[in-house]
Amino acid sequence: MTMADARRPAPAARPAAEDGARLGFRLTLPAQILVLFIAVFPLLMQLYISLTDWSPLTGTAWPRAWEYWNGFANYVDLFNDAKLWRSIWRTLLVVAIAVPIEFLLGLGLAMLFVDDFPGKKVAYSILIAPMMVVPAVAGYMFFMLFQSGGPVNDLLSWFTPEPVALAWLSQPTTALVAVIIADIWQWTPLMFLILLAGLVGVPQDQLRAAALLGASPAQRFVTIVIPRMKAIMIIAIALRVIECLKIFDTLFIMTGGGPGDATQTLSVYIYDITTQDLIWGYVAAIALAILVVLSLGAVWAMRRMVR
Amino acid sequence: MSAIRLERLVKRFGAFTALEAMDLAIADGEFMALLGPSGCGKSTTMNMIAGMEDPSEGRILFGDRDMRGVPMGRRGVGFVFQNYAIFTHMTVRRNLDYGLRMTGRPAAEVGRRTEAMAELLGLTALLDRPAEGLSVNILQRLAIGRSAVMEPVIFLLDEPLSNVDAAFRAVMRTELKALQRQFRQTTVYVTHDQLEAMTMADRIAVMDHGVLQQVGTPLDVYNAPANTFVARFIGSPGMNLCAGRLTDTDRGLAVDLGTLGLSPPLAPALAAAGRRGPRDVTYGFRPEEVHLGPGGLRLPLILAERIGARTILHLGRGETTLRAVFQGNPDLPAGEIGLVPDPASVRLFDAATGAAIAGA
Repeated sequence: MTMADARRPAPAARPAAEDGARLGFRLTLPAQILVLFIAVFPLLMQLYISLTDWSPLTGTAWPRAWEYWNGFANYVDLFNDAKLWRSIWRTLLVVAIAVPIEFLLGLGLAMLFVDDFPGKKVAYSILIAPMMVVPAVAGYMFFMLFQSGGPVNDLLSWFTPEPVALAWLSQPTTALVAVIIADIWQWTPLMFLILLAGLVGVPQDQLRAAALLGASPAQRFVTIVIPRMKAIMIIAIALRVIECLKIFDTLFIMTGGGPGDATQTLSVYIYDITTQDLIWGYVAAIALAILVVLSLGAVWAMRRMVR
Repeated sequence: MSAIRLERLVKRFGAFTALEAMDLAIADGEFMALLGPSGCGKSTTMNMIAGMEDPSEGRILFGDRDMRGVPMGRRGVGFVFQNYAIFTHMTVRRNLDYGLRMTGRPAAEVGRRTEAMAELLGLTALLDRPAEGLSVNILQRLAIGRSAVMEPVIFLLDEPLSNVDAAFRAVMRTELKALQRQFRQTTVYVTHDQLEAMTMADRIAVMDHGVLQQVGTPLDVYNAPANTFVARFIGSPGMNLCAGRLTDTDRGLAVDLGTLGLSPPLAPALAAAGRRGPRDVTYGFRPEEVHLGPGGLRLPLILAERIGARTILHLGRGETTLRAVFQGNPDLPAGEIGLVPDPASVRLFDAATGAAIAGA
């Protein structure tokens, strides 16, 4: 410490620090207002509306929604809404089928791509192309592919004695299958990319050491690769689960949630009651409930991941 | 236990030849060091012995058994990696018993052998510690123990001391040699550090540019280098080499070293060998085996490094630079220095091929 520093009066430092804090506050004010406007304000608005029976059809502006105050009735209704629960179940079904398949395909492909082979770069580009396709375009593509006179049926006809003329998107089970196939096609590449990054990070020396100690490829995979990749695997799966729970665009263009409500996932259901029934107070309640549940799930997953 | 025989072993990577027709026999229980500068093919040779790479040509035999097509897990080879390749996500115990568990030995045997090995290596207290964050000497012991517990017939060590700082290397060398004596396995040790090779190995195989230069005991390689590469590579500093021409003098055969002057007369045996060979030779002598005085080479001093116990002189004229090492702190004459190589230490090499002209 120099003499000049020692002589500087200590109390003067504190107002300076306060000035700094105030300056920082002012500098970040635009950003804070923006966050308030796009995140906090809609959330509060949603909470407010969810406690009312307000709907745009009432003719009153939303700030006066208190005129239709109904307390927690919307949240009680939630539990008795069979269509909601069916859509949740359907969504979980899609996630439970699509994500594991994407994971296994992505992992398998990643393991192929760890080693060099001729044409690797071209194969790599082709493989990650689906991810680049706009979901709406992918939806339209699969809509065309799964028509009764479409290429999928033509392909299947090669292996069956009778020509196949299945109207995929018009039958409950096959429509769900088609939607899942489209999701797998589009999102396996992401899984592949993340897992490849993880796989490349597994130390080759350790794999060789394990092999020299007599471990079979399967044993090496279980004892070295999986423990080394665990964090990345969890991240990849968590990303896809969260995304897949929100599945909407591709699916909506392929089936619109139909036939009937066969592919009406949670997002589609919310879209339907928003645009058709216009019961926005109830919609707000559903959306808020989902947000809370997903946030809790995310916190739990994060905590496990850190450990 | 097992002997290793390499027969006309060749390894090519595309157009590049990493190893050229290598023949080497390693006896049962022998400690063989593969020594050479980086890129000389020593690690490639080792990887082929371990089965991590396939030879382009030639055979590898363990005892009488051809190893072609035998996967690395079945060769009975213990391999210690340069960075030890310890499974850091496991405990010390899980590292030690990894091979036993993977090959499906009964639990009682796994426990017994693991604990015996831990005892031998002084790792017992650490068994349940995570392998992450252990010190280097413990990692080294663990890496050796992990291989040794499988009772391999052959031990391969790939520059195990190159990550260790210089002060600790001496300790580790002693420890390694003691461990090898204990296990008595055939050991192949890859290194670019001649001190490690000289102190630990029974025999040294010196390699350069994919070609085996010489195989012999440490003293053989030091005293009778097979060619100029080995002469320069072994010893620190390496052997002095200067171009010259054999010349008859009235005191016997000597070497005319051009601007450096005339060498002292050659020892009788070397002179006899010299007369049978070519006239153009490379004259070599160890920097330690000279004395100051007249009657030898004369050249100016560039630098004298006085490091207490020893003094290293750097001398040179034109293209030729020589070094001389003296014990203590000798007084140096002013002007040019006269160096007299000890006749018994002088070696001659064919100037065209670099091969030694045997005489001693």
